[in-house]
Amino acid sequence: MNYCSVNVIGLGNLLYGDEGFGVAALNSFRDSSSFPETVRCIDGGTQGIYLLDYIESCDAVIVFDALIPLDFERRVYVYRNDELPAFIHRKMSSHQMGFSELLGIARLHGKMPKEIVLIGVPPKELELNIGLSPEVSLLLPEAVREAQTIVQGWVSSPAATA
Amino acid sequence: MARKIVVDPIPRIEGHLRIEAKLNESNVIEDAYSSGTMWRGIEVILKGRDPRDAWAFTERICGVCTTVHALASVRCVEDALGIDIPVNARIIRNLMNATQVTQDHLVHFYHLHALDWVDVVSALKADPKQASAIAQSISSWPKSSVGYFKDLQQRLVGFVESGQLGIFSNGYWGHPAYKLPPEVNLIAVAHYLEALDFQKEIVKIHTIFGGKNPHPNYLVGGMACAIDPNSDTAINIERLSMIKKIIDDTTTFIDQVYIPDLIAIAGYYKGWLHGGGLGNYLSYGDFPETSLADFKTLLWPRGAILNKDLANVIDVDPRDASQVTEEVSHSWYTYSGGDGKGLHPWKGETNPSYTGPKPPFEHLDTDKKYSWLKTPRWKNNPMEVGPLARVLVAYAKGDPMIKETVGLVLSKLEVGPEALFSTLGRTAARGIECKQTAGFMRHYYDQLIANIKTGDYRTFNSDRWDPSSWPEECKGFGYTEAPRGSLGHWIQIKDKKIKEYQIVVPSTWNASPRDANGNSGAYESALKGTPMINPEQPLEILRTVHSFDPCLACASHLFDMNGKEITSVTIV
Repeated sequence: MNYCSVNVIGLGNLLYGDEGFGVAALNSFRDSSSFPETVRCIDGGTQGIYLLDYIESCDAVIVFDALIPLDFERRVYVYRNDELPAFIHRKMSSHQMGFSELLGIARLHGKMPKEIVLIGVPPKELELNIGLSPEVSLLLPEAVREAQTIVQGWVSSPAATA
Repeated sequence: MARKIVVDPIPRIEGHLRIEAKLNESNVIEDAYSSGTMWRGIEVILKGRDPRDAWAFTERICGVCTTVHALASVRCVEDALGIDIPVNARIIRNLMNATQVTQDHLVHFYHLHALDWVDVVSALKADPKQASAIAQSISSWPKSSVGYFKDLQQRLVGFVESGQLGIFSNGYWGHPAYKLPPEVNLIAVAHYLEALDFQKEIVKIHTIFGGKNPHPNYLVGGMACAIDPNSDTAINIERLSMIKKIIDDTTTFIDQVYIPDLIAIAGYYKGWLHGGGLGNYLSYGDFPETSLADFKTLLWPRGAILNKDLANVIDVDPRDASQVTEEVSHSWYTYSGGDGKGLHPWKGETNPSYTGPKPPFEHLDTDKKYSWLKTPRWKNNPMEVGPLARVLVAYAKGDPMIKETVGLVLSKLEVGPEALFSTLGRTAARGIECKQTAGFMRHYYDQLIANIKTGDYRTFNSDRWDPSSWPEECKGFGYTEAPRGSLGHWIQIKDKKIKEYQIVVPSTWNASPRDANGNSGAYESALKGTPMINPEQPLEILRTVHSFDPCLACASHLFDMNGKEITSVTIV
C-alpha cells in the first residue's frame, strides 16, 4: 500500500505521568525516524474536536495513546481499522471527547482515512507528574518500532504508486 | 422519601464533573451538588520554574482551552515584569482570542449542546421536502435542497440500520422533553455535521499566527511570529488573504446557519425557562484596544451584576484582596489560616487533602468536603461567569451591538428580557456573542492590515527578556475572558523563578461547591426547581449543565477499548 499522506498523532497529557505516553511516543518517533515530508507528526495533547482535521485530511493515521481498561496486561497493543471503537456518546462536556468519537464523526462525514492504527499501552501511574513510569518507559521503544514498521510499509512500496 | 439522581462519568479515572440532585415527590429538583472529581494541581508543577515558560505548561491543562491559558499566563508575567507588548502583538492576540471564542461557541452549540434539544432519531421520520421548505424559509444558506436532506436522511438510516452503529449511542432519543418536529431535527442534524466540518477551517488562523496547532506558540513580550508582507516564511500577503477568507466564511456560517438554527430551535422551547440560577454575573472583560491595564477600552466590558439588577453594574478589581477570593470549606484542600476564610489568589495556598470516600462510591457526604474545586467568590457572592454574564454586563452598560442583537433575538422569539435569566438565555447569549466575536475577527484583521501599512512589523519587545533586568521580587495578574468565562492567573516571581502561581478558571466559578455560608455555586443554584420528566433519563440536568459549557474532563485522555457508556446515571 502506498499512501500520499500519513498523520502520526500522539495523544495524552504530559502533566499526568503515563497519561503522556502518546505524546512521549510521538516525540521519540519523530526523533528516531527519517520519513519523507508526507508523514506528519502531530502532538495532539488532550485535544478533542480540534483533531478532526488531522484524521479527515489524510490517507492513513497512526495514533499513540494510553489505553484503558487499566487491568489490561501491560504490553504494547496494536489495533487496526474496525477494531477501533467509533461512537458518539452522551457526555458532560465537550472536553470529554475521546478519539472514538472523532472516528464516529469522520465516519458520518464519509471522510475516514483508508487505514487507521492505534498503538497503545495501559498506564501504570496517572498522578500529577511530568514523565513516564519506568514500566511504561520500557515499552516505549517497542511501540515506536511498531509504528515505524507500519509507516515504512505505507510509504515505500513503489509498485503501488501510479 | 426524597430520591437522589447521580450523574457521574465512567470511567472514574477520567476525573470529571459529578452532579448529585435531590428530587421531591413530584420529581422537581430540590437541591443539587456539583463536584469536581479530579485534582489538577498545575500550581504545584509551576513552582520554581522560569516564568517565561509558564504558558507552555498552562497550555497543557486542557485540550480545549489551550490558547486561553497561554494568553492569561503571558499576560500575568508581562504584568509582573512591566512589559508593554507591541501593537501588532496586541492585535494578533485579540484576533486569535476572537477566533478561539467563535470556534469554541460554534462547536459547543452543535457538538455538545444541540443534542439536548435535537432528537437525532426523530430526524429519520422527517419529510425531506418539508425540511427543505423550512430551511429555505429561515435562511438563505444554499445547502437546503430536497435532495440534500434526502441524501443525509438516507445516510443516517444506513448508519442506524448497520447496527454496528453505536454512533449517537446512549442518547435519550424519544424523550418527551424533546419538542422539535422531525423536519427541524433533520435540519439540525445536517448542520451538526456541517458545523463540525466547517470548524476545522476557523482554527487555521491559530496555525498561521501560532506556528502550529494544536498548542500554538505564545511568547512573553509579544508573539513569536514574524511579519513581512514580502517574505515567504513570515506572515505575508498570501497568509493574510487566507485569514480574510476564513473570516468571511465564518461570518457567513454564523449568520446563515448558527443564528437561524438557534432562533428556530429556541422557538419550540421558550416555554422551558428553567435553569436561571444565581442571578449574579461577573466579567473581567477582554479585547483591549490599548493596553490591557486600561480596562476602560475593553470591547468586552468589565463589571458585576448582583440579583439580576441590570440598572446597576458594579466595578470589579481582581487585584483587590477583598474582591476575588477562594475558600475551601467544602473542597478537598486545607488552608493554614482556616478553610472557610477566603484568600485572594496572591495569598493563595494549594494543599490538597482528600477526605472523601474511596472510589468507587455511591454518594458524597455533601455536608462536608465534596469537591476538588475550590470555592471562588466575588465580595463573598457566588457568581456566574461566561457568555450570559458578559452579554448581560454589556447589555446593562448599553453596548450598542449587544443591545441590538439581544433585542432582535428577543423580538423574534417574542419574549421579554427576563427570559435571558435561564438555560435557554445562556444558550442564546453564546450565539449572540459568537456573532459578535466573528465581527471582532474582522475588526482585528482590519487593524492589523492598517498597522502593517504604516511599516510597523514589530511583534516582540525584548527589553525585559533577560532575567537580569527583572526586579528581585514582583507579582502580576493576567486575565482573559475564555469562551466559558472569566479566567485569572496570579503569579509571584522571586529570584527569577516562579514563587507562587494560582489559577482561577471559569468552571471553578460556575461548578464551585457550597461556601462557608452555605451559598450554592452557579450549577447547583441553576438546577434547583427544575422539573424532571423521567429521572432515569436526566435530560433536563444535562441541558442546564451543558449550557455553562463545563471544562473539567480535559486533563486526561485515555483510549477506552471497552467502554461505550461514558456517563452513568444512578438513582439512590
